[in-house]
Amino acid sequence: MKKTLLVLLFLASILLFSLSPITPAYSADKVVKIGGVYPLTGYLSWLGEYYKKAAILQVDLINKAGGVADYKLELVSYDDQSSPEEGTRAALRLIQSDKVVAITGTATAAITGAVSSIANKYKVPAVMSSGYDLRPDKEPFTFNTAHPTFFAVARPFMYLKKQGISKVGLLMPIGSLGEIGTANAQKAASQYGLTIVAEEKFDIKSPDVTAQLAKLRASNPEAIFSFVTGEPAALVARNMQQLKLDIPLIVSHGNATPGFLKLTSGLTTVKLVVPSGEIMAPDSLSATDPNKAIIREFNKLHMERYQEPANYFSGLLSDAVLLVVQGIRISGSVDPEKIRDGIEKIKSFPAIGGVYNMSPTDHYGTRIEDMIVLTIKDGKWQLIQ
Amino acid sequence: MDLSQIIQFTFSGLTLGSIYALMAVSLTIVYNASKVISFSQGEFFVFGALMMVTLTSIGVAIPIALVLSLVMAAALGALIERMLIKPILGSSVGTIVTMTIAISLALRGSALLTWGRSSFVSQPFSQGEPLRILGASLQLQVLWICGATGAVLLLIWLLFERTKVGLAMRACSDNSLGASLVGISVRRVNFFAWIFGSSMGALAGILVAPLYFVQYASGVMPMLSGFVAMAIGGMTSTLGAVIAGMVLGFLEAYGIGFISSQFADVIIFTVLIVTLLVRTRLLAGEASSDEGGM
Repeated sequence: MKKTLLVLLFLASILLFSLSPITPAYSADKVVKIGGVYPLTGYLSWLGEYYKKAAILQVDLINKAGGVADYKLELVSYDDQSSPEEGTRAALRLIQSDKVVAITGTATAAITGAVSSIANKYKVPAVMSSGYDLRPDKEPFTFNTAHPTFFAVARPFMYLKKQGISKVGLLMPIGSLGEIGTANAQKAASQYGLTIVAEEKFDIKSPDVTAQLAKLRASNPEAIFSFVTGEPAALVARNMQQLKLDIPLIVSHGNATPGFLKLTSGLTTVKLVVPSGEIMAPDSLSATDPNKAIIREFNKLHMERYQEPANYFSGLLSDAVLLVVQGIRISGSVDPEKIRDGIEKIKSFPAIGGVYNMSPTDHYGTRIEDMIVLTIKDGKWQLIQ
Repeated sequence: MDLSQIIQFTFSGLTLGSIYALMAVSLTIVYNASKVISFSQGEFFVFGALMMVTLTSIGVAIPIALVLSLVMAAALGALIERMLIKPILGSSVGTIVTMTIAISLALRGSALLTWGRSSFVSQPFSQGEPLRILGASLQLQVLWICGATGAVLLLIWLLFERTKVGLAMRACSDNSLGASLVGISVRRVNFFAWIFGSSMGALAGILVAPLYFVQYASGVMPMLSGFVAMAIGGMTSTLGAVIAGMVLGFLEAYGIGFISSQFADVIIFTVLIVTLLVRTRLLAGEASSDEGGM
């Protein structure tokens, strides 16, 4: 009798447990796979690690909240080894073997281009996060959570304009990066009514740019813009301090990293201006900012899980996952083409990089005002606008 | 164009030239003794600089860190020579050069494993404001580089003119068969040349790194520019290497300043091509005038 009672109690508790709200809303056998192509080895590995960590965290958060529709989300990621060839292989594997419904990742225009090419061929949405220039008419399946390069130039120019600065000197790297920097600078200057007073070029491997700076100084610029990342950017800053050229120096948005803080330690007089996303200054955002709560929450959870704050790059991948999930919700389907249509219909969707408004002709969805400008003070990032 | 600009171009030329000269000297020393262009010099540059960064970051004083880094670079050079170069001594120059390239890649990989991908800031030898003249400025570290290059030149002169080891090295360089016939150990001379060369490469890195930054792959640019200066300076002359390095630095800075910065990355290679063409023409001219005497 006692034994029977115990067995009945045991069965009842299992029944109760299986009905309780602790179990997720999705049923255990319905899984939808999102792909990730990240540079986990090679020269971009520092970046790929942030991408993967953010994607894993965001997927976990979504699953904890009940998944999407009836499905549990699963992230399948491969290493592109910082190379376009491996990126192509990874994308093919994700689409053909793993049957992912969307791809997220990767860094640099070259690798992104390779992945985008495959995604468009197989009609799978690719929500990328790099400086790759989108052409929705030619590649209708590719989206980008990284702010367009033009925004990253226009935003600091907008800041200069607000400071009453009108004359800008350009110190650009020799090569295609410099051409992109110059073209965007000229466009941004005319948009905000600023003047490019002089331009000099330099070899990014050079240990000294004081000759170029001396020439620029003769045109009396009120700010300098150098579209470089990392060591060359820090060198320009150091040489400017050496020459007592104490005017703002705008560098590329790729510099919002802890490594750059190390390179520029010891520079006290140069005012560095680095465009980035709001996630870099979570506590300084205004109370009315629609992204503030999401950014602070994600940053807190990132800190708890990984013992380091989220950064611009973490934010990009978190948004990529969110956009795919929103695409599934809007379309009500896990068919890749329908998900793409769903992503294109996203409107007024606040996330980390901004409030997304997608369309068939705009696959970025963000605005110039979604970016902020940072400076470095006492070895830390500080919001200046 | 004002005087301040011209002085700044000169300072920039001195900065660039001092780097090229010092690297060229370290390459020339090894070439002189072994007739081999050591493509691993760039990695000794990096090793010296990164050792210096590591030691100073744990509180070792700069002079002591300097000596320790040089000793460790010399030890590394000795190890490499004994294990990898000595077994192939006597092979063709091509084989030995290929070995130095392989050593370079291995050392670069080791540096990556040890120090990672980060770039490091290296402390300059003297703290203080740059030298300023009429609004132009020169980092004090450049003066240290020039001083050290002068000291190295003096040391080399003393070595080659006044010591047995130096005379032996010159003998090996001129005629290794003849040198061994008079009892000079070619192997021992080569060993010494490698130790000296690797320390000089490391010294170049230690002196130059404070001007900008250093990471595991930073050896490529100094190796390339040092090689160009060495080639222009005549391959075997240390004084020639210094003069060529300085001239290249000034040509680059003045080219950027007076002509255009558009071609900053090709100036030193253009000078190399022109020099080699002119030198070939001159040599061809001498040869044909000799034949006329027959």
